[in-house]
Amino acid sequence: MRPVVGCTIRGTHMNKLLRIEKLVKHFGHGKKAVTVLNHVDLDIHAGEIVGLAGESGSGKSTLARCIAGLHSYDSGAVYFQDALLPKKFSAVDFCQQAKKLQMIFQDPLSSLNPRLTIGDILLEPLRLNSDLSAEMQEQLAIQWLQRMSLKSSDLSRYPHSFSGGQLQRIGIARALIRQPQLLICDEPISALDVSVQAQIINLLKDLRDELGLTLLFIGHDLAMMRYLCDRVAVMHQGEIVEQGCTTDVLEHPQHAYTRKLVNSSPIFL
Amino acid sequence: MLNYTLKRMATGLITIWFIASATFLAMHMVPGDPLADDKAVPPEIRAALLEYYGLDQPLSVQYLRFFNNMLHGDFGLSFTQKNRAVNDIIRAHFPVSAMLGCVALLFAAGGAMVWGAFAARFHRRWPDYLVMAIVVASISVPGFVFAALAQIAVLHINQRFGTQFPLAGWGTLQQMLLPALVLGLGTMAYMTRLMRSSMLDVQQAQYIRTARAKGLSPARIFWVHKLRNAVLPVLSTLGPAIAAITTGGFVVETVFAIPGLGRYFVQAVQQLDYTVIMGTTVFYGSFLVLMVLVVDLLYALVDPRIRLQDDR
Repeated sequence: MRPVVGCTIRGTHMNKLLRIEKLVKHFGHGKKAVTVLNHVDLDIHAGEIVGLAGESGSGKSTLARCIAGLHSYDSGAVYFQDALLPKKFSAVDFCQQAKKLQMIFQDPLSSLNPRLTIGDILLEPLRLNSDLSAEMQEQLAIQWLQRMSLKSSDLSRYPHSFSGGQLQRIGIARALIRQPQLLICDEPISALDVSVQAQIINLLKDLRDELGLTLLFIGHDLAMMRYLCDRVAVMHQGEIVEQGCTTDVLEHPQHAYTRKLVNSSPIFL
Repeated sequence: MLNYTLKRMATGLITIWFIASATFLAMHMVPGDPLADDKAVPPEIRAALLEYYGLDQPLSVQYLRFFNNMLHGDFGLSFTQKNRAVNDIIRAHFPVSAMLGCVALLFAAGGAMVWGAFAARFHRRWPDYLVMAIVVASISVPGFVFAALAQIAVLHINQRFGTQFPLAGWGTLQQMLLPALVLGLGTMAYMTRLMRSSMLDVQQAQYIRTARAKGLSPARIFWVHKLRNAVLPVLSTLGPAIAAITTGGFVVETVFAIPGLGRYFVQAVQQLDYTVIMGTTVFYGSFLVLMVLVVDLLYALVDPRIRLQDDR
């Protein structure tokens, strides 16, 4: 069952998991400064999947990294469960926030440390932060691997011996083993081939339904977004030019850039 | 892994054979011979000596005899040091060179890790530029210049403060310090550069972003994720580094009056002492081949990707 969210509660303050207000981010200093995010406003409600669309360089990934604390931002505010997140994360902030918010990345192979086994990759955050016993932690890792259709013997293998789809599933397991509330997916399927893409998308959808997860999904494939997302926001040159219910935005685009994007998508509608 | 090891050992043996043959031929192409002395020797005595050392035989016979003896682990007698076998010279003086080399290598590798990581940490800021300037100077200037400079510096310090820090010689830990420092400097500089660029590469890597997103502490990211990945390419240059340090030792041993094998090697070349030259060359060559082999095997052991490629 898809939770009834999206258009119906737009504009209310109910269940807002993440609130971004007037976020501004520059790269560089002085005359060379480039504005990558220009007064971005975005709300994400608990349990929904929000898509963030836009061309390369529009600031999608930067926005995601600002939320996750991987970049600092210049002005504006990010609230997670009504708590203001600091502009620049300290080591303690990372530790705190990582329990609630996790991220998966575009290139599944290079985003995993080649010198660690899958077991080490999955268990590392638990070993450092959890009061579960070592056996319980390993059980948990095995459960997650099996949930991702991998074998428990894969714990002792290294990243380079898996396929792209398997690696992305390991990445998802790695992120979800901490039981975060929000999962940011930074173009998680762009590096995979088409048959595997669908597999990952369905997996994300299932996980949302099972765990009540909230997803911020970044991508440029509108057809995929139409299938997966409850709401979409369209970014162009560091600004969100349009946001709303997926069907509304994609079938009746208001902004010229959204129309361009929709028209350029070959298998759309 | 076994396949890989055997393959590497076979190429190693061929390398040693080549080194031995090339040295043998080179020695016999050089004009003059070890018996040519300042004093005029009566022709009959000279003939007797040539016969005694087997130098009157055709080259092919000498070559086969040399190889046969070498396979039995015997490099023959020295020409210039009466009644001293080459094996004895190696046995007596190689430990000194090896000791000096080990200390120098330890110093070089340790220093390189620290300075390389330090420079990368302050990338494009003044500590980085400072370290790189020192590195370039240390690579460009040959070791014996630093050896002399270090001696002069210590001499001044001794005069100024009335200390008795030894300038040369061998036997105490203090005497080892200066030559090891000078000997390791070039290698350290080279490895520092490597460590720095390796560290910069790793800092950009996507799995470091993942590690940060995992919420790991900066210390853990540094030690487990960055350092462990950055050290490997540096580790693989340890083989050539050993080569650089042992050959560089020839000069440093002379400057600091250390009774190492390098000094005897240089002496032997000056006096055309065939057996000593060939013995030490083959010995050093085999030693280097062995070191490179050990380092490569270790590398394969540490890096799972190399290991698996071979298994397939």
